[in-house]
Amino acid sequence: MSDPGSEVAAGLTEAERDILRKSVRDFLASAWPPDESVENAGDAAATAALWRGMARQGLTALGSGGDGTGTREILLVFEELGRAACPAPLLGAVAANLVLSRQSSNAAQALRDDIHQGKAAIALALGAFDGDPAAGGIVLHGEIARGELRFVEGAGAATHLLAFTDAPVGVACIAAGAPGVNIRPTPGLAVPPFSNIVLDGVSAVRLNTARDTLEETAAVARLACAGRALGAAQRAFDLAVEHSKVRKQFGQLIGQFQAVQHKLADCLIGLDGARLALDSAAEARDAGNADWPVFASAAVAFAGPALRDVSIETHRALGAIGYAEEHEAPRHFRRVHADLVRFGGAPRARAELADYLLGPVQ
Amino acid sequence: MATLPAHDMGSAANAFRAEVRTWLAKNWTPENQAAHRRKPFKERGWDAEFSKLMGRDGWIGVGWPRKFGGQGCSVTEQLAFVTEMANSGAPVQAHSTGESIVAQALFKHGTQEQQDEWLPAIRRGERSFALGYSEPEAGSDLAALRTRAVRDGDHWVVNGQKLWSTGGDKAEYIWLAVRTDPEAKKHAGISVLIVDLHSPGVTLRPSLALYGKTFSAQFYDNVRVPATNMVGAVNDGWKVITDALAAERVMIGGTRMAGIERAFDRLTEYLKTAVVGGKALRNDPVVRDRIGALAADIEIARQFQMRNSRLIEQGKVPLHEAAVGKVFASELQERLGQAALDILGTRGLLSEDAEGAPLGEMEQLLRHSIMGMIGGGTNEIQRNVIAQRGLDLPR
Repeated sequence: MSDPGSEVAAGLTEAERDILRKSVRDFLASAWPPDESVENAGDAAATAALWRGMARQGLTALGSGGDGTGTREILLVFEELGRAACPAPLLGAVAANLVLSRQSSNAAQALRDDIHQGKAAIALALGAFDGDPAAGGIVLHGEIARGELRFVEGAGAATHLLAFTDAPVGVACIAAGAPGVNIRPTPGLAVPPFSNIVLDGVSAVRLNTARDTLEETAAVARLACAGRALGAAQRAFDLAVEHSKVRKQFGQLIGQFQAVQHKLADCLIGLDGARLALDSAAEARDAGNADWPVFASAAVAFAGPALRDVSIETHRALGAIGYAEEHEAPRHFRRVHADLVRFGGAPRARAELADYLLGPVQ
Repeated sequence: MATLPAHDMGSAANAFRAEVRTWLAKNWTPENQAAHRRKPFKERGWDAEFSKLMGRDGWIGVGWPRKFGGQGCSVTEQLAFVTEMANSGAPVQAHSTGESIVAQALFKHGTQEQQDEWLPAIRRGERSFALGYSEPEAGSDLAALRTRAVRDGDHWVVNGQKLWSTGGDKAEYIWLAVRTDPEAKKHAGISVLIVDLHSPGVTLRPSLALYGKTFSAQFYDNVRVPATNMVGAVNDGWKVITDALAAERVMIGGTRMAGIERAFDRLTEYLKTAVVGGKALRNDPVVRDRIGALAADIEIARQFQMRNSRLIEQGKVPLHEAAVGKVFASELQERLGQAALDILGTRGLLSEDAEGAPLGEMEQLLRHSIMGMIGGGTNEIQRNVIAQRGLDLPR
């Protein structure tokens, strides 16, 4: 009765969620081992093989609904991807599944089947729905798309590009190899790098989709990325905690120093807070609670600064040992920061909360 | 809308909440409230007559087991209850320490005679308690306490000094931690006595704390306490003290959260229409960013609180989880107070009764936040608990 989750009919039970978590974690441990994840991240063939494996696990269908999984399960799987530093193109698949589940055309049906079977991999561009004003956008003239899209993840291994647009409102589905598609990787903190995609009069399949659906899908993508950052931050933190229990300096374990203990205690507060809030927001959406976007804003507004702090403090606890790129920690640092700043990041979430509480700026 | 959407606490708690509101509407009337607000600030929150009224209608001990005369409410219902009470501003401090800490200990460690003697009176709102734990040399390190009790026939004779007892100048009794075996290891030689604060030999020295209410030092000079007032076995006091803490922390947290949420709601409500220097505060991007961040933090504090109640209802004892909630909420209160000063400017320094004060309670909230970070185990001790119990870091 106290647990709002226990009254929710939709979604999996806690026991089923535990099983799902374990199976995803076990799968990723063998399909994407941490010690190979850096070189694998740049290898399109490795990512394609991973994607087929995820299809066999049923993970490529996340977001389709109908199998009892909901937003909480999407977040759970993204958390595991973050933990494993795994760049599987699941963001595009989830968004595509959310959009395509409302489409009845043969083309939409075929694409959905291909995604579920791991034959298609989707790069997602939210365009005008991204939340970052520099994310670019496209314009559709009939079935022809033009424009420039920035910060697109997973473009290197994608078979299709799914681009949201408000000109006019809808989704363009574009074959990655179509004439006029120019994909350029843009190196930076994110690994694998984002891409810039220029569409110069490219033939697109246009999916008429309501603005609400696009906004909601973009909001789920935002939560999913925050979930992935949480998984990465938690994994790096776990490494730091273990390290502090074995590393000795000045004749004692560094985990005995109160300076280290309090640092890690603060990290746990951040991690637990982010996890509870993200899960609660996802649960609210699954329960059909109309206030779920407010809870989602709160979760993202907290997770942004909190998980970035965790990431920084983790590195301070690991010291120079965790500073080498061959150590696992740097890839989590990259993941945490890359995922939390996207889609307008925490400042946008704070602005949404202010809009809710104070009304819009006049 | 100037408040975050509420979480559904479940149908039973919602119904219970409505029942509390109905009772408050009848018994905590605008006239009562106005009269209460006319009292000096340091007298507010403590009202023996109101406690008796609550006791008469069964509102003390709602979470007690039925066999002790309670309503057997779940933790979630109790939280709904303390939230409603805190939101109403009704005075509950005269009975709250007895209701929660003393009664919890008596359930588990009291003799039949002690339960029969104390519990019905506490439930009627007729017994008020303060806590006698801290001493000059025993704050965070409570087990270092030195106040001595020596057996003499049917009595214990108490000598020593206690500090920082909230409500000590108003309460009739004190829940006193004493050393009964100075030779034993420090946690092993402690016992708990219920002491009548009007006993010969007790000297009380109240002082005003920064938040505007009193706490008291007490000096015990050969104070004779009936042996029947010892709760739990001799030298078993550490267990008596710590056993009742988990549920208690959650309830204190509930009251704190209600206070924080109420202050935040008042601040946002004010900001919706406030114009200063010809500019609407609500349009200031810095103000909006700050309010958004605080709103998110309030949601997180609620999440920690709900996790604690879930754990208790699952029969678990939240230990490091309770510490997480306490640290976060008390520091959030401090951030809220600081943010209010930044947003309100110099006017934010004005007290509620000062001319031209926009939101006088905000500066009090800031002064009060220090207590949250120190009382009930400092936040530094809480972080030790999180690290050592939650993360299993070496001591």
